[in-house]
Amino acid sequence: MVSQEEHDARVQRLYARWLDAGMRTAFAVSLAAFLLYVSGLLPAYVPLEALPRYWGLPVDEFLRRTGAPSGWGWVGMMDRAEYLNLACIALIASATLVCYLRVLPALLGARQRLDALLAAAQVVVLLAAASGVFGGGG
Amino acid sequence: MEMDAVAAAPWWIWPIALFAVSFVIGIVAVLAGVGGGVLFVPIVGGFFPFHLDFVRGAGLLFALAGTLAAGPTLLRNNMASLRLIMPLALAGSIASVVGAVVGLSMPTDLLQTALGLVVIAIAVVIWRTKEVYGGTVESDALGAALRMRGRYDDPAERVRIDWRTHRTLLGFASFAAIGFFGGVFGLGAGFANVPALNLLMAAPMKVAVGSSGLIISIINSSAAWVYIHRGALLPLLAVPAILGVMLGSRLGARLLSVTPAAVVRRLVIVVMLIAGARALLRGLGTW
Repeated sequence: MVSQEEHDARVQRLYARWLDAGMRTAFAVSLAAFLLYVSGLLPAYVPLEALPRYWGLPVDEFLRRTGAPSGWGWVGMMDRAEYLNLACIALIASATLVCYLRVLPALLGARQRLDALLAAAQVVVLLAAASGVFGGGG
Repeated sequence: MEMDAVAAAPWWIWPIALFAVSFVIGIVAVLAGVGGGVLFVPIVGGFFPFHLDFVRGAGLLFALAGTLAAGPTLLRNNMASLRLIMPLALAGSIASVVGAVVGLSMPTDLLQTALGLVVIAIAVVIWRTKEVYGGTVESDALGAALRMRGRYDDPAERVRIDWRTHRTLLGFASFAAIGFFGGVFGLGAGFANVPALNLLMAAPMKVAVGSSGLIISIINSSAAWVYIHRGALLPLLAVPAILGVMLGSRLGARLLSVTPAAVVRRLVIVVMLIAGARALLRGLGTW
């Protein structure tokens, strides 16, 4: 029989292991995608030489003038360098969600209902934020 | 820097400068126990040519990447506690999404002015706050139900410390407020997490510092999506900041044991006062 403290420690180590793997992966792919972007090996939607004309604008004006997508519109444009980089940023923003999804079954398995409820609520908040219901398409 | 000179600079200068600035802030942030967004946003917003909308998005990613990179070590050493983190981060992340939406709909001048005032106020709070050693307290009913307690070994003191927290409801309210303002300004808000955990809830200082980082990572994960969907993340700005802070925070964690904390603390206060004054004066249209 595993004590509650031992189970807590296991869950904490599980979260740490997945977070560590996720961040190492995110660093490597972000670096690779950024080198593709700045080297010009992958074409950009807004050419790097033209970007200084737009980066001082408020975001709504930037989107209007460049025709850049908001919401989930970038997903279909990952053949453009900046949106491949945005996918790497999304990977970093998803790391916490993945860790919560990994520890949730462990909490449910140990019948830690209150903890599982909190973790499930956090997953819902993260999924809602990721879905764009709070600010997509603006 | 004059705007003509900024406009004349080739584009590639900025990602290199951003990487360097983020690397240095990443080191200083770990040494000072803050997320780093509180330094990144006013410095980059004040001295780089990017619009504040993009700087705040990158600031959130900056704090997120730095705290996520440090997270595994903190959890393995029990310097961060998932039992403490999960309930407080839930309150903070709901509030931070609301804050991020509010922040993106505020006029820039008002935001710059408010940012300047907040950063100066934070610098004063850090200056006035003394380290408090978490004492042994009795858990309140909610804290007991959530089992907000833990144990860690302190190698410096060669002791094993059992701890528990109290004032749980006030803690929830504090983290909701911190999450909201973090979302509005794109700040990690570690400066406020640590006093809330240590002074208010009586978590030991090391657990407060470690757990603060993980809480920032969870709260900012929600707010980051708001910026992604609004198109308010420029990869040319955000990615060098992320790469710089990930490397800087790792080096900072190594330097932590050999650098006098008082030296770095004073450095952070000075930088924040300068950056805050610059943001404030820009917002008021006098700089």
